[in-house]
Amino acid sequence: MSDLRSDDSSSEPIPLAQRLFDNVWLLLALGLAVMFAIFTAWGLWEILTLPRAELP
Amino acid sequence: MTGPVPASAIGPATDVAAGTRFNVCAFTGRRLDEVALRLVRWNAVTSIVALLIGAIAAVLIVLTRWQAVHLLPAIWFYRILGVHGMSMLIFFIIFFEMAVLHFASTALLNARNVAPKISWIAYGLMLLGALMVEYLMWAGKADVLFTSYVPLRAHPLYYLGIILFAVGALIVTGVFFANLRMAKRERTYEGSMPLVVYGAMTAAIIAVITLVHGAMIYIPTFLWSLGLMEVDPQVYRMIWWALGHSSQQINVAAMVAIWYMLGALTVGAVVLNEKISRSAFVLYILFISMASAHHLLVDPGMGSAWKVVNTSYFMYMAVLASLLHGFTVPAGMELGMRLRGYTNGMFDWLRRAPWGDPGFSSLVLSVVVFGFIGGITGVTIGTEQINIIVHNTLRSPGHFHATVVSGTAMAFMGATYYLIPLVFRKKVALWGLAKLQPYIFAGGMVIFTISMTFAGTFGVPRRHWDISFSQAPFDVAFNPAVDIFLALVALGGITAATGAFIFIAIAVKSVFFGEPIGQVTPNTHMRGVPQGLTHPPKHSADVAERWEKMHGPESGFMGPAPGTLVLVFVFLAAFILYFFVNWKVLSFVWRIG
Repeated sequence: MSDLRSDDSSSEPIPLAQRLFDNVWLLLALGLAVMFAIFTAWGLWEILTLPRAELP
Repeated sequence: MTGPVPASAIGPATDVAAGTRFNVCAFTGRRLDEVALRLVRWNAVTSIVALLIGAIAAVLIVLTRWQAVHLLPAIWFYRILGVHGMSMLIFFIIFFEMAVLHFASTALLNARNVAPKISWIAYGLMLLGALMVEYLMWAGKADVLFTSYVPLRAHPLYYLGIILFAVGALIVTGVFFANLRMAKRERTYEGSMPLVVYGAMTAAIIAVITLVHGAMIYIPTFLWSLGLMEVDPQVYRMIWWALGHSSQQINVAAMVAIWYMLGALTVGAVVLNEKISRSAFVLYILFISMASAHHLLVDPGMGSAWKVVNTSYFMYMAVLASLLHGFTVPAGMELGMRLRGYTNGMFDWLRRAPWGDPGFSSLVLSVVVFGFIGGITGVTIGTEQINIIVHNTLRSPGHFHATVVSGTAMAFMGATYYLIPLVFRKKVALWGLAKLQPYIFAGGMVIFTISMTFAGTFGVPRRHWDISFSQAPFDVAFNPAVDIFLALVALGGITAATGAFIFIAIAVKSVFFGEPIGQVTPNTHMRGVPQGLTHPPKHSADVAERWEKMHGPESGFMGPAPGTLVLVFVFLAAFILYFFVNWKVLSFVWRIG
C-alpha cells in the first residue's frame, strides 16, 4: 500500500505525533492503563463496595 | 519461487543471524524468512482444523434450534454449543491471528523471526491447551459453555488447558514485538512501519490486554476448581468478559489490517490518509477493549456510571475508529481503481473490479456485512436502554455472527487465497469453487444473521435447547413467525457451513495435495493463482497528474471518491433508521406517563 503524497525529504524532523504513534511500548502501556483504570479497577471497586444484601 | 538462498545474498550483511535462511518471493520480490513461514503454515493449518470442528458443531446446533428438526438431546446440545464457541471464537480465530502476527512482523518488513525456538514452544503450548480443552468438552467433563460462568464447574484441566493456550498466545505477541524491534534496529524498513503491520501491532496490543485479563480470571478459577479458593460470580463475569469480548477485538484489528492488505493486493488500493488510518488504530488500542461492558449492561452489581462510561462515552471512540476504517478502506480501493484508469461515472470502478478473485470478493463481502449488519446492530444493542430488550435473546448471536464470522472469518478466508500461493507456494485447488465460495458463505451468513436477529426481536432466547418448553409446567407462546425465522436460521446456517466446508476442502487440498507454483511468468494468467499476484495492479503512467486532478477543484464537492461517499451515506441512513426503530420498539415495552 503506497501513499502517493509522501514526500522524499527524509531529512525533515519527524513530527511529535508520528513519533508517539510509532512508539509501540507507549501505546501498549496506554492501552493497558486505560482499560485497567476505567473498566477493571473501577468495576472491581463497584463490586467490592456493594453492601451485602440482607435476607428478608 | 527461487530456491532458498542465504540471507546475506539478499539483505544487508549486518542483519543476518547465523542459520537464518530466506527465500525470495517470486510475486512480490520480498524476502521471506523460512522459519517464520513454517510458523505461519502450522498456525494456519491448525486454525483450519479448528474451523472444521466448529463448523460441524454449527450444523448440529442449527438443526437443534430449528424446532421442526430438534436434532440433539439437551445434554449434547449444550455440550456441542460449548465446543462450537471454543473452537470458533478462540482456537480458529486466535491460531489464525498468530499466523498473521508471524507473517506481518517478518514477511511484510523484510525481517526475520528473532526467537524461533520460543515461537515453537508457544505454538506447542497453544496446541496442547487446545487439545486438552477439546478432549474435556467432548468427553462431557466441561459442560460449562463458552463462558464457563462460576459456579458452573468444569474439570480443573479444562481451565489449565485454557491457561496454557493463553500463555502460548501471549508469548507469540512477545515474539511479535521483538521481531518489530529487531526489524527497526536492522533497518529492514524505513520510517514508520507499514500500515498493515501497524494494524497487526494494534491486534497484538489488544491481545496483551485480553490475555492479561484471561490470566487474572482463569488462574483463580483453576484454583477454585481444585477447591483452593472462592471466586465471586460477579467478579468472574466482569473480568471474564474482558477476555471473552476483547478477544474478539483482536479480530477486529487483525481483520482491518487484512482489509488494507487485500485492498492493495487485489485492486491497488492506496492509503487515503495515513494519519487518519493510524489514528483510528490508536483509538482501537485505547478504547475498544472496554466494549466488554456490553455483556454486563443488565447486571445489577454494576452501576450506571460505569456502564455508560464504558459502553458509550469512551467506547464510541472505538466506534468512530471503525467508521473511519469503514470509509478509508473502500475509498482507498476506489482511488486505486480510478488511478488505474477506471474513472467513468460514480461506480464504474466497482463494476469493473475483479469479482472473480476470491480475495477481492471476500474483502468486499467482509466489509459490507461487518458494517451493515454487525456494526449497526452492535452499536444499537450496546446502548444501555436498548440492551434491556436484547439481552440473552438471539439478537446477540445475530450480531456477533455478523462481525466475527461474516467479517473476520470472511477476511481470513480471503487472505488465505493469497497466502496459499505466497506462503505455501501452491496453486489454489478447486479454483472454480474457490471463486464461488465467498458468495456461498456470505449469502448463508446474511440469511442466518438477519433471521436470528428477527427471531431475537420476538424474544427468542439464545443458548436454549427447547423454546417450546415441552416438558415444563407452563408454556411460553411465541409469535408463529418465530418458526419461520428459526427455519431460516437453519437454512442460512447450513448454507454458510457448506461455504466453510468448501473453504476447508480447498485449503486442505491446496496445502497437502496441491500443485506447486513452479515458474512464474509475470502478467500471465495462472489457474489457481489470484489475479492480484499474476497481474499486480499498476496505476496509470500519469498517476501523479491524475492524483492532483482528483484532489483539485475539478472533482467537485463529492471529492476524489464520490462512489464511496454515496455508499457511506446509505450506510448512515440505515444506521439511523435501525437505531430509531429500536427506540420505538423499546417505547412499546417501557411506557412513560
